[in-house]
Amino acid sequence: MRKEYGYGKYDNVITALQFERLLSSFGPTEGKVSRPSDGKKPKSIGWIQCVGSRSEQLGFPYCSRVCCMYATKEASIAKEANPDIDITIYYMDIRAYGKDFQQYYDHAKDLGVKYIRGRPSSVYENPDESITIKYKDTLTGKIEESTVDMLVLSTAIMPNKDNKRLGEALGVDVDENGFFKQDSLLTDPIQSTRDGIFLAGCIQGPKDIPDSVSMASGAAAKAVAPIKDREKHIGKEFPPERDVTNEKPKIGVFVCHCGKNVANYLDVEKVTEDAKKLPNVEYADHMMFVCSEDSCKKIKEMIQEKGLNRIIVAACSPRTHGGLFQDTLMEAGLNKYLFEMANIRNHCSWVHSDDWNAATDKAIKLVSASVAKARHLESLTEEEFSIYPSTLIIGGGVSGMKAALALAKMGIKSIIIEKESKLGGRLRHLHSMFPSDMKSEEIIDPLIKEITKNKLITVMLDSELEDLEGYIGNYKGKIKQKEMKKEIEFGTIIVATGFREIDLKGKYQYGKNKNIVSQTELETKLKNNDLKKPKNVVFINCAGAMDEERPYCCRVGCGVSIKNAKLLSQKFPKAKTYLLYRDMRVFGKEEEEYYSDVLKNYHVITIRYPGDKKPEVVLDKNNPKDGPVTIKVYDDLLKEEMTIPADLVALTVNTEGGAETEKLKNMLKVPVDAAGFFIETHAKIKPLDFSTSGIYMCGAAHYPKNLVDSIAQAEGAASRASIPISQEKMKGEGIVSEVNEDLCRGCGTCESACAYSAIEMKPHPRDPTRLVAEVNRALCKGCGSCAAACLNSAIEQKGYKSKQINVMITALIEQGAAK
Amino acid sequence: MKLLYYPGCTLKTSAKNLEKSAFAIMDALGHEMVEMEDWTCCGVASSLTDDDLMHHIAPLRNLIHVEDEGEDKIITLCDMCCNTLKQTNLRVKEKPDDLETLNSFMDQENDYNGTVKVIHFLEFLRDEVGFDVLKKKIKNPLRGMKIMSYYGCMLLRPREVSIDDAEEPTVMEELFTSIGAEVVDNPFKVECCGSYHTVEDKNLVSNRAYRITKFAVDRGSEAIVLSCPLCRFNLDVRGKEAEKLYNNYKQIPVYYYTQLIAVALGLDPKCCGFGDHAVDPVLLLKKKGVFEK
Amino acid sequence: MNKISDENVDVNALKLKKGDLVKEVEDLCGENLFGCYQCGTCSAGCPFVEDMDLSPDEVIRYVILDKKEVLNSKTIWLCAACYTCAERCPRDINITKIMEALRQIILRKNIDRTNLTDIPMEEKGSIPQLAFVCLFRKNVG
Ligand SMILES: Cc1cc2nc3c(=O)[nH]c(=O)nc-3n(C[C@H](O)[C@H](O)[C@H](O)COP(=O)(O)OP(=O)(O)OC[C@H]3O[C@@H](n4cnc5c(N)ncnc54)[C@H](O)[C@@H]3O)c2cc1C
Ligand code: SF4
Ligand code: SF4
Ligand code: SF4
Ligand code: SF4
Ligand code: SF4
Ligand code: SF4
Ligand code: SF4
Repeated sequence: MRKEYGYGKYDNVITALQFERLLSSFGPTEGKVSRPSDGKKPKSIGWIQCVGSRSEQLGFPYCSRVCCMYATKEASIAKEANPDIDITIYYMDIRAYGKDFQQYYDHAKDLGVKYIRGRPSSVYENPDESITIKYKDTLTGKIEESTVDMLVLSTAIMPNKDNKRLGEALGVDVDENGFFKQDSLLTDPIQSTRDGIFLAGCIQGPKDIPDSVSMASGAAAKAVAPIKDREKHIGKEFPPERDVTNEKPKIGVFVCHCGKNVANYLDVEKVTEDAKKLPNVEYADHMMFVCSEDSCKKIKEMIQEKGLNRIIVAACSPRTHGGLFQDTLMEAGLNKYLFEMANIRNHCSWVHSDDWNAATDKAIKLVSASVAKARHLESLTEEEFSIYPSTLIIGGGVSGMKAALALAKMGIKSIIIEKESKLGGRLRHLHSMFPSDMKSEEIIDPLIKEITKNKLITVMLDSELEDLEGYIGNYKGKIKQKEMKKEIEFGTIIVATGFREIDLKGKYQYGKNKNIVSQTELETKLKNNDLKKPKNVVFINCAGAMDEERPYCCRVGCGVSIKNAKLLSQKFPKAKTYLLYRDMRVFGKEEEEYYSDVLKNYHVITIRYPGDKKPEVVLDKNNPKDGPVTIKVYDDLLKEEMTIPADLVALTVNTEGGAETEKLKNMLKVPVDAAGFFIETHAKIKPLDFSTSGIYMCGAAHYPKNLVDSIAQAEGAASRASIPISQEKMKGEGIVSEVNEDLCRGCGTCESACAYSAIEMKPHPRDPTRLVAEVNRALCKGCGSCAAACLNSAIEQKGYKSKQINVMITALIEQGAAK
Repeated sequence: MKLLYYPGCTLKTSAKNLEKSAFAIMDALGHEMVEMEDWTCCGVASSLTDDDLMHHIAPLRNLIHVEDEGEDKIITLCDMCCNTLKQTNLRVKEKPDDLETLNSFMDQENDYNGTVKVIHFLEFLRDEVGFDVLKKKIKNPLRGMKIMSYYGCMLLRPREVSIDDAEEPTVMEELFTSIGAEVVDNPFKVECCGSYHTVEDKNLVSNRAYRITKFAVDRGSEAIVLSCPLCRFNLDVRGKEAEKLYNNYKQIPVYYYTQLIAVALGLDPKCCGFGDHAVDPVLLLKKKGVFEK
Repeated sequence: MNKISDENVDVNALKLKKGDLVKEVEDLCGENLFGCYQCGTCSAGCPFVEDMDLSPDEVIRYVILDKKEVLNSKTIWLCAACYTCAERCPRDINITKIMEALRQIILRKNIDRTNLTDIPMEEKGSIPQLAFVCLFRKNVG
């Protein structure tokens, strides 16, 4: 760690990770922001970015990719909770490159987080243990000192020290920093240098959660491919289910000590004794660990011996242990939905550890509520449906092709539909790819060949999806191929429709002069040798990006402009190249290193311009269409207007989702954001899934991204799409919603309440003149939103019916009143 | 063991007291330090342009003469000399071609074989004597004295020739806490004193001296301890002049580390040449009772 | 906006060898100025920055942009070669050497910064010798 920032010397200089712990409610301060030296709430906090990153000396040359956003997050959280704390972030470039990142950054600024462009030189401590930072505000040109109560360092992400040893043991190559190397960065980013060993997440370079999760899914797909033919794991066989419909409820209650976790804080014996007194309770006992094998055996024995038909476990959380106990029920011939859990640990003993009586009391109430509900539990069935064993891939760019190949490796059929007459997507128009300067043909041609050869992949060119019906496992699609129409069936769908450059609508004089081109056009010209020798080339980044109309960052633009600056300088060594940028967002390992390399070797002149003073392109009066142009730009660092004559201007145009996005959105019933990019279920946990089961996304359709990230996502999406298919049959949820068609008035409220598109309005089965809601049991996740929304109580969620909930509430109140 | 010593021009003129006190310490510790024969000026500022080999000749010549005397180590007292000799030594090690050119250029001299190690006297005390050994010989511990250490540039930068951590050096802190003083933290201890600007722009250097000293004075420091003759002049003389530029500012006395060690060892204060200082250094020592013991 | 007030050196008369200032500087000091991220670290830590007309990072920017008036900047003469900037630059750029290269461009045309006869002599005895040698090395060609 750099010593000039006082880490290890001054108490109030901490790392971002330490700050993260301060924010955490499980951390040392239970989420209160306080100074390490005296525990007082700081009045001001500073962050220094790129500590040890982007450093050729005393650090690592690469960008750590995540710290700009985590610092912004930490600052926002601290600021939101404590608006009175003054917060400043010292940075060189804010790399808000990802989906919604720029908006998040703008939001932080709105909250009052201050951003100062300048890398501090050193810090010192004052007698009150505050820290003074010396820096140059490079945007005002002033040398300043500013004092904060606490300083946070956004330190570099480093590979594990043991990576070298691990690499040796695995027989794979490790780079000079200790990251694992890829076999071929641009064509196979998940493959290590050795067959059978795959890479996921930060082992290969710093990465954020979504990118790591995508890559991990891809790695999983690759890892199963070689073992796909092994006998499938067959689920446990259970004895036939006992029909309990006509039995009167016989409830068994098992109270858990959880070692000391429960028993040390409340009276488990009393809970058990009280449970025994409740109506319909046939048996109650308490055990040291209910989840142990012996205890489960005991539960099974008691089910047989006492003829129990409802089981309650009073212990921890159903999230973690529910499944285990449901299996126990099934092993004893009971339907698994005849089970109920009372959480007397997480919800009781842990949180009331200081009050034995109250905790005991609450546990008794929770158990009696569960008993009340258990009396009304019913056996539920899980629908089984078959899965059509093939995947439809929409879009035949690199992502679509890579997804198809990954599926084929797992033995799964796929159909690629591509609206153009050739495969390859955007890469067909590009010259070569950063960061390893591979020609784009060298990437797509072998892919296309492999696809055409592969019998499991069907390619339909000039094709578009016209209509879609069905649900996961059972889709039917109408495809229009030129004049022909075809109907095909498939089980899952991958959306890989990519992106396009936005329409600049004449901004920067685009379209008015032939020397002003977009980056894609420039690359096509380079590819076709269609450029005359320029003297002065100007690149303008962020054209149509990060403004009111389009508040987002295009993620690839900075890398692209650097690559093209290099290409031009190589081709025309005499030409002067200017790169006009707002923030240099060459994030991660490869891009940052590529960037500094290009700057140094090709003497590219970078000029930072402020977002509110966009560069101006002035046409030549005498020859506006073909003549040279003049660029006026305000140099944010020197704070002066510059005029650059240019005979070639390349605009790094912002991007948006494909042209057909709107149509697809309606057909697939999936969400799309304002920029036309598809929205995933959860940015971090499920970055490749739509909330509708069976549909996945990858590549630039999700958000602009470079090839490496696109391929990782494509292989990840293939992995996700293969899961239902390799299961052959799928079981739906038992807890689903059910419509009482006679009560339903067809208002459609539930249809829009359902996030999983599981409800559709259909004619009443006996009275086709009116519409009623119909639940698709394959799609319903049992979330209950519909039941809560329906004003007629016409739709109910099984397992959580109104009656079942009401009796619980009554039991809780009665128990309370009895006291 | 005989130890060879390279003085440089300043040690023979305005910094005689630094040299004398260092010799006195060596005596007291039982080491024999001998001035090398036939030394010349080191050239002072190390050459900073790649094509300029000329200015490496002077330092190299001195290194050759060390080899000529059959020695492989040379001790320096002046920070500038130490830095210049070290940088040239490093350059010829890293670029053997340059060494060849230089060797052929200096046809009156023997070729340099690159065997000499240049060390600063502070390094010698730390690495070869050891502060724990030194501590045992202390008669007048500097108890009660609050000092700030000052390193300046040449001991620490460039990093390749630094005698300690370039940002957070501790050698003087360790030395002086081991002989009884209390060292006040001062982040300005590694900042430039103004160097040769002292010739043409006195005020600039006075400002520097003020800025460097003030921080530690505010935190209770009563004295500055340093090692370089030019730093001594700038902080002492120009620092005293700063009193005219800043109201209520009083410059504190400046000592060479060798002077304070000599006093602590109970050596004759005459070797310290305290008369050459602008701010009276004796007063504080008396006040703290270091002298009486 | 022109921050540089000095006009000691007639920049055009210097007839730089290769036209571009940056090439000249890079040849002299062996540093690659284009690696600079304009982060300001060098300037924030420079002990003389308050007296400079251009801060060290601006000097680099001027050279890159081929603004030859940088040769008239006070900064290059105020730099005392303390190496603080070089020590802290995250991009491992030795600004100390760049400053020297800029001085050398002028000094090598036999344009001296300091006139030896102008040096006040009253303190000659007390100022350490090395200060004089150093001054001559920096300011006289
Ligand atoms: C100017 C520029 C330069 C770039 N340079 C680099 C670089 O040097 N290095 C790098 O790593 N990345 C670079 N990129 C990013 C790279 O282009 C993307 O990572 C890559 O193209 C993403 O592939 P994709 O398959 O997701 O999308 P695309 O390549 O856009 O492919 C999508 C495909 O889907 C088809 N499609 C769209 N809608 C439908 C529909 N409804 N039905 C059927 N088919 C449909 C499209 O016709 C297209 O063939 C650059 C991007 C741009 C804009
Ligand atoms: S620029 Fe890169 S290394 Fe620096 S703070 Fe941002 S993400 Fe981290
Ligand atoms: S069932 Fe839950 S509460 Fe009981 S022992 Fe297991 S983990 Fe602990
Ligand atoms: S060019 Fe694109 S990637 Fe770079 S900052 Fe602008 S919008 Fe973001
Ligand atoms: S329970 Fe949830 S998923 Fe099921 S239909 Fe209702 S809203 Fe949709
Ligand atoms: S909200 Fe209720 S009434 Fe309305 S359609 Fe849905 S089930 Fe029928
Ligand atoms: S510290 Fe280095 S990178 Fe930063 S502005 Fe100075 S020279 Fe450029
Ligand atoms: S070497 Fe020169 S420019 Fe760099 S910090 Fe020192 S005085 Fe300033």
